[in-house]
Amino acid sequence: MKPRNNISPPKYYEQFFEWFCRPEYFEELQGDLEERYERNCIELGQKKASGIYKREVLKMFRPSVIKKINTQYRLNNIAMFKNYSLVALRSIARNKLFSAINIIGLSISMMVGLLAISFISELYSYDTFHEKKDRIYRVINTLHEEGEDPAYYASTSPLTGQRLSENYSGYEKVVTIYRGFSADVKRDDQKIPIAGFYASEAFFDVFTFTMLSGDHKRTLTDPYTIVLTRASAEKIFGKTDVVGEIIELNDNIQLTVTGVVENPPRTSHMSFEAIVSFETLKKVQDPKRIMRWSNMWNSHVYVLLPQGTHPEDLQANLEEIATQENSSFGTSSVEMEFQSLNSIFPGKKLYNQLGARMEIKNVNYMIILAVIVLASAAFNYTNLSVARALKRSKEVGIRKVVGARKGQVFLQFILEAIIISTVALVFAYFLFQLIRPEFLSLNRDIQRTTTLELSFIHYIYFFVFSVVIGIISGLLPSAVLSRLKPSTILRGSTQLKVTSGFTLRKLLIGLQFTLSMAFVILVSLAYKQYQFNLNFDLGFETADILNVRVQGNDSELLTNSFSQVPGVSSVSKSSWIPSVGSFWTTRGKYIEGDNSTTVHLLNVDANYLDNLGHQVLAGRSFTEGMTVPQVVVNQKLLKHFEMGEPVDAIGKHIRLEGKDRAIIGVVKDFQHATLDNEIFPFAFLNEPDNYQLINLKIESADNINTMQQIEEKWSELDPSHEFQAFFYKDRIERAYSKLSTSLQTLGLLAIIAVSISILGLLGMAVYTTESRIKELTIRKVLGASVQNLITLLSKNFLLMFVIASGITIPVTIYAFENWIVPNLVHRIDIGFWEIGSGLLAILVLATLTIGSQTLKAVKRNPVEHLRNE
Amino acid sequence: MKGTYLGEFQEIVLLTIIVLNENAYGVTIQDEIEKRTNRTVSRGALHTALTRLDEKGFITSIYGGATSERGGRRKRYYQVTNLGKQALQEARSIRDELWSQVPKFAFQNI
Repeated sequence: MKPRNNISPPKYYEQFFEWFCRPEYFEELQGDLEERYERNCIELGQKKASGIYKREVLKMFRPSVIKKINTQYRLNNIAMFKNYSLVALRSIARNKLFSAINIIGLSISMMVGLLAISFISELYSYDTFHEKKDRIYRVINTLHEEGEDPAYYASTSPLTGQRLSENYSGYEKVVTIYRGFSADVKRDDQKIPIAGFYASEAFFDVFTFTMLSGDHKRTLTDPYTIVLTRASAEKIFGKTDVVGEIIELNDNIQLTVTGVVENPPRTSHMSFEAIVSFETLKKVQDPKRIMRWSNMWNSHVYVLLPQGTHPEDLQANLEEIATQENSSFGTSSVEMEFQSLNSIFPGKKLYNQLGARMEIKNVNYMIILAVIVLASAAFNYTNLSVARALKRSKEVGIRKVVGARKGQVFLQFILEAIIISTVALVFAYFLFQLIRPEFLSLNRDIQRTTTLELSFIHYIYFFVFSVVIGIISGLLPSAVLSRLKPSTILRGSTQLKVTSGFTLRKLLIGLQFTLSMAFVILVSLAYKQYQFNLNFDLGFETADILNVRVQGNDSELLTNSFSQVPGVSSVSKSSWIPSVGSFWTTRGKYIEGDNSTTVHLLNVDANYLDNLGHQVLAGRSFTEGMTVPQVVVNQKLLKHFEMGEPVDAIGKHIRLEGKDRAIIGVVKDFQHATLDNEIFPFAFLNEPDNYQLINLKIESADNINTMQQIEEKWSELDPSHEFQAFFYKDRIERAYSKLSTSLQTLGLLAIIAVSISILGLLGMAVYTTESRIKELTIRKVLGASVQNLITLLSKNFLLMFVIASGITIPVTIYAFENWIVPNLVHRIDIGFWEIGSGLLAILVLATLTIGSQTLKAVKRNPVEHLRNE
Repeated sequence: MKGTYLGEFQEIVLLTIIVLNENAYGVTIQDEIEKRTNRTVSRGALHTALTRLDEKGFITSIYGGATSERGGRRKRYYQVTNLGKQALQEARSIRDELWSQVPKFAFQNI
């Protein structure tokens, strides 16, 4: 026996050694090691002795000492696994139809899973390159305006940044970012456009962008300094080593380059070509205006908190600032809070984002949809395998009789499911590669933010994913099969009942059909709504209108030049275009009344109303060279201020944008916003210095030629900027891109869901007819008609279908109205055919599936099935 | 001749076993080699060498009785077989022969 003395070698090492050492050597070697250890303890002390012992054990890890893996026990285990795989492959090969159904269904749905995995892992890699990412927070605003819903902004006033750094301690760094730097750099008679933002001194202390040259402590401290990226430095100078160089902007401002940084990584929520010091902005613009509390639209404040500080601890500071500043903010008020960098992208929906945006809601939808589709395919596997459990029961019986335990049978069938799902993974991978470009072009946010490029880690995710899917779909069949008792199985299979899963199976199929019907109906509804939106009568003409961006040029010059092009029938100018989702609003006040309201504004020239086909109900449009501030309004504004009939309103004054303006005309109400908004009070202004777009009405037989000529005119006037123009119709289409994205996504999902459920149904139909073939033939012999038999077999299915549609219809309508087109004011009427057509399509498909199988079974000669008993 | 080839370390191990005579088991062999060659030898490396020698039939071993030391585990004593002794002599004669051929002046200046 081992004597109990208090010095014994490190326990875990001893155990580890015993674990890997060949048993025949262990006594000798461990004895030697222990003898030395005991001696070393006395001579060198226990600590050193332990060290030596550990080293010795680790050095024992050599072929001559390590156990042979091929011990009897392990060899046996591997053989078992080999056998399991072999049996699995045989069973896959024997039931080609069922295996195909499972593999096709799984691979289609796993493709969706792969998309979701690569998409989501890519989104969550955003902003992870910042070293201090866990301590960076952004201040976000919630604006409460009287009588309106609160609006959520990613921006806040620069004043917040200033006050946080000056009046409060507890912040390691505060950085203010001001959007909207864009300028042309003059360089050798060329104009090179660059864009970016203004940022205060601490920018590079907070964010991690690799500095190629320049001292990052001083880069943005002084006014008139600029930091370029590698790309913009190369664009301007052709090299990156340009610290100390001076660049001149088009408005004669000179900036000194104080640093060059690596291009911001694609996975950064902010992107820029250049960063100009915030001090510069204070010099070139009125600093008082910039630092105003109400100037909360363009600036972002980020803070770096010291280690161990929670944003909740500092929330009081924000509340204090807000309370103090709101007191002089009229009827509006602002609430502020911290948002961590990690929850910016993807994050909640906020206006005025600094760069790329991705709503967390979309990500969640993606996950939910992927789970639904995957579940649907897993159901198929579960269903078919449980249904076919009968055929495998003899195998299970024999295995159990020769000594297999329940766990081993369970493992076998799980392994089989994993093999199926791994094969499906291979197909899914190819499908994924096929669908990837389609997915990326789904919408602009996706296109801008993700590439779905796969790295090694993704392949590991994919494999783990397929194993998980295999386990999930194999769980139920394995449980059913492994629970079978050999005595019952081998006594005679007729006594065996595997009907325990029967109601469950029905439920699963019912669920599948509910899903596919829901998707099909949603697609038809979304399609109709999309068409409806595009063809909606906005109240003015958008056909053949080409909008050209002015890009800082003289709009008058451009107008003259464009109107010379044959094919351009009329030209007008505007600050932006309505009906595509942009807004410009202000508070408007009726001089004689005393209520004020939000008025939407558009700045146009004298030609605009005519050019865009607005219907003037009373008064007239603008004329050239007016001096008194005038305004053309819509009916809604009259109604709001209770001005009476259009004719009565002419000559009345409203106060907008700081000027009293006389109403000179009234236009018919038109849909100035996207269809998810009502019509608001609207006013056209006429302020010549603010035109961003030139609207050309094109009436020409040869559009391409006309476009070319317009473009030529552009390059004559402005060779340094690219010609940017878009047709009004296209922009309207883009305004509803969210709906078209939903439409495409739903379309894809509908196809997937329908094919999976039909596949499942096919499998069940084949199984049912096969297992009831004797019953069917006897019925036939006794005189049942083919029709009788089809009714017999599809009766159950029809009942299921009715129940499924009963659930689907209300759920789908609810989903359409609340998720697909929420807060849409002009919604299509949902009639019988929108819903009925989808249901009918599914019904026909399903009946065909069942019918064809039944027909095949009953048309055969009864003798074939009854001859051998 | 792979079978009878004697590596340097194996040769040392064999000689050490002979030197230790009756008392040659793991710990003593390890200690003796460390003492004489001034290099640390891990028990694992020694084990590998002993296994090789055993495979070639140069050594045999017997288990001693259990004692209260070393967790009550038995010692395994090694002895060099005649074949082992032959191999040693062979190795030595090869060396001696080579030494006798070495010219005297080659070692004059060290």
